Amino acid sequence: MAILDNLASFLKAISGFVTPLALLHIAWSTLLGIVIGALPGLTATMGIALITTLTYKLPADLAILVLICVYVGAIYGGSRTAILINIPGTPANAATTLDGFPLSMQGLAGRAMGVATTGSVFGSFIGMFFLATIAPVLGNYALKFQSFEFFWLAIFGIIISGHLTALEDPIKGWIAGFLGLLVAMVGQEGIHAYERFTYGTTELLGGFALIPAMVGAFGFAEVLTVMKNPPAKLADAPKDSVFPKILDVLQYWRTIIRSGLIGTLIGIIPGVGEDIGAWVSYAAARRKSKEREKFGKGSVEGLMAAETGNNAVVPGAIIPALTLAIPGSAPAAVLLAAMFIHGLRPGPLIMVETPQFVYQVVAMVFFATLAIFMYGVGFSKLLLKVLAIPRSRLMPVVFVLCVIGSYAITNRTFDIWVMIGFGIIGFILRQMRYPMAPLVLGIILGDLMDKNLRRGLVLTDGDLAPFFTRPICLVLWLITLSSIVLSIHPLRHALKEALNILWSKIRRLMIQPVR
Amino acid sequence: MARADLITGIVLILLNLYVIIESWRMPRLEHLKVHPLSVPGIVPAFIGTVLILFGIALVSRSIKRGGYRLGFTGEQFLQVLKNPGNQRLMLTAFLTIGYAGLLIGTLPYWLATGLFIFVFILLFEWKRGISLSQHKRGIITAAVIATLSSAAITFVFERLFLVSLP
Repeated sequence: MAILDNLASFLKAISGFVTPLALLHIAWSTLLGIVIGALPGLTATMGIALITTLTYKLPADLAILVLICVYVGAIYGGSRTAILINIPGTPANAATTLDGFPLSMQGLAGRAMGVATTGSVFGSFIGMFFLATIAPVLGNYALKFQSFEFFWLAIFGIIISGHLTALEDPIKGWIAGFLGLLVAMVGQEGIHAYERFTYGTTELLGGFALIPAMVGAFGFAEVLTVMKNPPAKLADAPKDSVFPKILDVLQYWRTIIRSGLIGTLIGIIPGVGEDIGAWVSYAAARRKSKEREKFGKGSVEGLMAAETGNNAVVPGAIIPALTLAIPGSAPAAVLLAAMFIHGLRPGPLIMVETPQFVYQVVAMVFFATLAIFMYGVGFSKLLLKVLAIPRSRLMPVVFVLCVIGSYAITNRTFDIWVMIGFGIIGFILRQMRYPMAPLVLGIILGDLMDKNLRRGLVLTDGDLAPFFTRPICLVLWLITLSSIVLSIHPLRHALKEALNILWSKIRRLMIQPVR
Repeated sequence: MARADLITGIVLILLNLYVIIESWRMPRLEHLKVHPLSVPGIVPAFIGTVLILFGIALVSRSIKRGGYRLGFTGEQFLQVLKNPGNQRLMLTAFLTIGYAGLLIGTLPYWLATGLFIFVFILLFEWKRGISLSQHKRGIITAAVIATLSSAAITFVFERLFLVSLP
């Protein structure tokens, strides 16, 4: 019965968007998303942050529809650049270059694009299925969460996101996350309304606004990075057909399902994102593949895994954003901020207050996915023309949009300076290989962590036990601690030694009675 | 990277010592009978402490990798300045910050934006050793792109999407 109810709500939401105005918004915003994703230097996060400005005056449902279409479009669009010029259009398409570009070099660029379209469409649909089925359940379950669980969710998000986005050097991911939390401490705090770190400035009373900070960290920082790096090569038009082949789906259906599941799961983990979804799906496909030797040399299976994985993250990342107000990725963080701007209230109460909105979001992903399929089949040449725009002509326009995007939300020049400040800090941190996703997650989760730690301590009169003994808290802090311990080499080594000793003792004990 | 980590670590430690001192100085709100564990300074102090620990870890790791030994001479500094990538970066920073901080608010929005885009394109597409007359085409292209972009952005944001411009 629950499934039928879900289906009915989904169909109702679908019918709500079958209007000329909504279809027009789907058409332009998905195309814009694909172009943003395809252009090296313009990321999904930046695109959503900039387009949020355009949606201020739109009704809430159309505004979120536009942003979701940009999101889905950008993650897909990045595959074009990865295949044609070996440069990922967005970080989410880094794994796509491994097999996409070799296929292109073999004269199979069209086929590679078709595979990317197939993977992206199936990835989005798999993620969408779980968005429709998990979000309502998680939303209802989240109603049981108290301050203790929310505090650990924030810490868990920061540590796991920091770890997974900086696998080679997790400490940098954690530093970025805690710096984000520190940034969130600026402004009037939520319990006693005391002004922290404002130094008497009225502009800082509400803290740093998220959109200008994101536009800076992802937009201005990207403009600086693109202009510093050498120019990218120009792409040649594919000579073979870009139409997806049904045979690829039949041959690699296991890879598609596996990558879709992995992508969705990675999406649900706070602040991890599409790039990790693609890498993990790619690694899993390689491990399980019968044609492992082809990976990295133009494997259709590898390309399929990467593109299915990254697009499945999109609906996956929206699940915690809707039900817990904790974004699963950096673009989902901007989407979450946009939802608040439009008066929507994502969080544990969503299934109580506005359950239909969850299904509207599912329908939005559905339409965006249909749109990327149509554009994937029909607009390849237009995209090549866009890719030929020199950066010296594109980047000043992008910066102009960064300025408007920061200013328009509250009409304050101060926010333009916030954008510039975060842009410069973001650029420096990126040059030193600090990931941006945990920083953004920290800014979003700062208030949640602050209120819930203090509230929890007051509720227990300073007793820390519930923070560690409640079942969900126990799971969250154990995973968090394991993530830290396993990343510190001496601790990992000591743990391994201790486990070895323990194991040999157990074996000896088991063998002795036989003797 | 070892030297960058050393500097970052030291900055983190100093910044967060300041954060902890500021957190300590925040009011305890005793007159409101506020619970001592819900005072405003407790969470910033917690974050500051964690970041100091991370800072110490970065510094000690960097020292082990010889980060403190890597000196920085005047010649190296000149090389950094001469690097084409860094030159492009500095020019971009100068133009963008100049536009956002100086032109916006001083000139009408459409004019400031058009001027910024025109100068940006012109400077980055300018080729040395070519006479001014040979740059005529480039100048006209930059002017056309700047005019069209400025007009389109102003129209789309202000008239179509009703967004107020700076």
